[in-house]
Amino acid sequence: MSLPDRIDPRPPRRIYRWDLDKTYLQTEFDSLRDLVRTAFQKAHQKVAVPGASALIRELSENGDSRLCIVSGSPKQMRAVLEEKLKLDGVRWDEFVLKDNVGNLLRGRFRALRGQVGYKLPAILESRVHAPVEAEEVLFGDDAEADAFIYSLFADLVAGRVDERVLSQVLEAGGVYPDDALRVREAWKKIPVGDPVRRIFIHLDKLTPPAHFTPYGPRVVPIFNYFQAALVLLADGHLTAPQVLKIAVEMVQTAGHNIITLSNSFQDLLRRGLPLQQAAVALSQALEGPNKLLAAMRPMPDILAAFSKRLAALGTPPPPPPVQAVDYVSLIHHALPRNHKGRTKPQ
Amino acid sequence: MEDMVGTQPQPVTIAFDVMGTDHGPAEVVRGAAMLSLESPHIHTLLVGDRTLIDDALAETKHNGERISVQHAADFIGMDEKPGEALARKPNASVAVAARLVAEGEAQALVSAGNTGAGVLACARHFQLIPGVRRAALATVYPTRSVRGAKGDPFSLILDVGATVEATADDLVTFAVMGSAYARIISQNERPKVALLSNGIEPQKGPPRVVEAHARLSEMKDIHFIGNVEGIDIPKGTADVIVTDGFVGNVCLKMLEGVHDTVVELAQYAYKESLRWRAGLAMLSSGIQRIKDITDWNQYGGAPILGFDKIFIKAHGRSKSRAIANAGKVAAKVVSNNLGAAIREGLKK
Repeated sequence: MSLPDRIDPRPPRRIYRWDLDKTYLQTEFDSLRDLVRTAFQKAHQKVAVPGASALIRELSENGDSRLCIVSGSPKQMRAVLEEKLKLDGVRWDEFVLKDNVGNLLRGRFRALRGQVGYKLPAILESRVHAPVEAEEVLFGDDAEADAFIYSLFADLVAGRVDERVLSQVLEAGGVYPDDALRVREAWKKIPVGDPVRRIFIHLDKLTPPAHFTPYGPRVVPIFNYFQAALVLLADGHLTAPQVLKIAVEMVQTAGHNIITLSNSFQDLLRRGLPLQQAAVALSQALEGPNKLLAAMRPMPDILAAFSKRLAALGTPPPPPPVQAVDYVSLIHHALPRNHKGRTKPQ
Repeated sequence: MEDMVGTQPQPVTIAFDVMGTDHGPAEVVRGAAMLSLESPHIHTLLVGDRTLIDDALAETKHNGERISVQHAADFIGMDEKPGEALARKPNASVAVAARLVAEGEAQALVSAGNTGAGVLACARHFQLIPGVRRAALATVYPTRSVRGAKGDPFSLILDVGATVEATADDLVTFAVMGSAYARIISQNERPKVALLSNGIEPQKGPPRVVEAHARLSEMKDIHFIGNVEGIDIPKGTADVIVTDGFVGNVCLKMLEGVHDTVVELAQYAYKESLRWRAGLAMLSSGIQRIKDITDWNQYGGAPILGFDKIFIKAHGRSKSRAIANAGKVAAKVVSNNLGAAIREGLKK
């Protein structure tokens, strides 16, 4: 873990945990060529997912929050990644990178690609130091095992997963004994609470949203960060003007428009997220003192399109049901993509 | 007719009537999902039962930024009488979709459902282009020769059922519309246009065909090659074949019947004799090649021409690939402003 980019003595009320590759950064590492290119990219050549930096900045604006990054990138990339974050105006409190050279030298080949044995102890150890009342929102992607690991973390802290299930998961996930020990030790130190409010999964690979249904409504697959901003507005983490700022940045820098944003809004409604009030708040924000935003075309048009998309659905769909997550049956979600066990057992 | 889309395309929204197809709503949803992944400039508006659409979308890889849904509680089945069904079900998916296109929520409509209901819904919500008296339902037919920049094996036949009795004026209008459409979709700068008749001589055929022949012969912007006979359709002598809805429909059904009979004969031969089976096996790669070239799934759908808005009618048996391609055809027609091309053609 590196030194924090800022020192804020106040205990955080909210903790935002982010993955980097494919969550914050548009990274390609599906082929050897992609890996090499990514490894040699300079900070200014790296591209953030549209809206991601704006979202982080707006969440940070509210103060008393902490940004914790846990990335599967190797430690050797720390300098370039930190430079990229600074270029984007992102300030962090924790920044954990993977010791892949260490894993290689110690012959821990499973750990090179394994995610459970790396991320789960890292975020549990981070939580040990957090105030018991601090809420958490986590951001990951669909390329690896983020939905599984983040959900497991949330349910471990909440006491919804017992020792037996944890052992089964760690064993099936190929976690080395020392990492398993770190998981158990950190877990025991964390007071039982239910701090995780949302887990956003950026659909970098456009995985069908139903893939994440077994994790329940806490996990929200998103096509873009405007969707995350809308949900965070409904959840009380952002204000309507902050969401408008994120939308404006996405329109101005990433080619988003009235259709993509209103479709994104409707996509969440159709999945049962209660965003009707969020839409009202956005409209009111334009009517209020934010003349600058009101002048920014095409925001008023986009909000008008929201109303049409809302009306198009007729009766709002019911919210998705809350259910217990069966981690043992979902372990194939947590295995590396080319792992034999990744295929769902019949 | 290719599914190519031009470079630097403008965003286009295509409304899909999701209901009433042979393979069910999920197949149309999968086609739209495919389109959302392949064509960033095409947005789709799925019209139909929201629950069915959402269930299918949730299970399908798609880009949610490019898809929206309009709930429509009813739909018109393939076996329903279009006029009666539309009167009984004003909120049927095809009617809602046509209304949304008329209101500008989308620029074109694609439906694989009841053809008559689709045409009637368009007639109620769309306007005829000035100078067009009757709309024409077109279809494509695989031919021996290819045409256009992309070697398109399909010729266009219109009308195949929308206007049962066409006047000479209508036939000339159909020729202009068919020519404009073929220019855009087949990337064929000078499509060969012909009238379907019972002989190639100008005086052959009923008076309306003779009169249309005389008038088309004088139109410099139409590459009119005269009359063709039924035998010329599969040969691909013309790129656009013009006829009235009655003859066109009879002709189309006969061509489909011949095709089905050939397939049945081949199946019979395959079962009956080992020697014939061996012969068919030897020809299998060639047969597959012909099948690939003439696969209507690659074409996607055929247009109703004459309205100010675009309606692409996909085959009722369309699978997702055909649906996606029908969407691409619709987007291409919109991007190339078919309506303006037809208006220009009619002025001359």
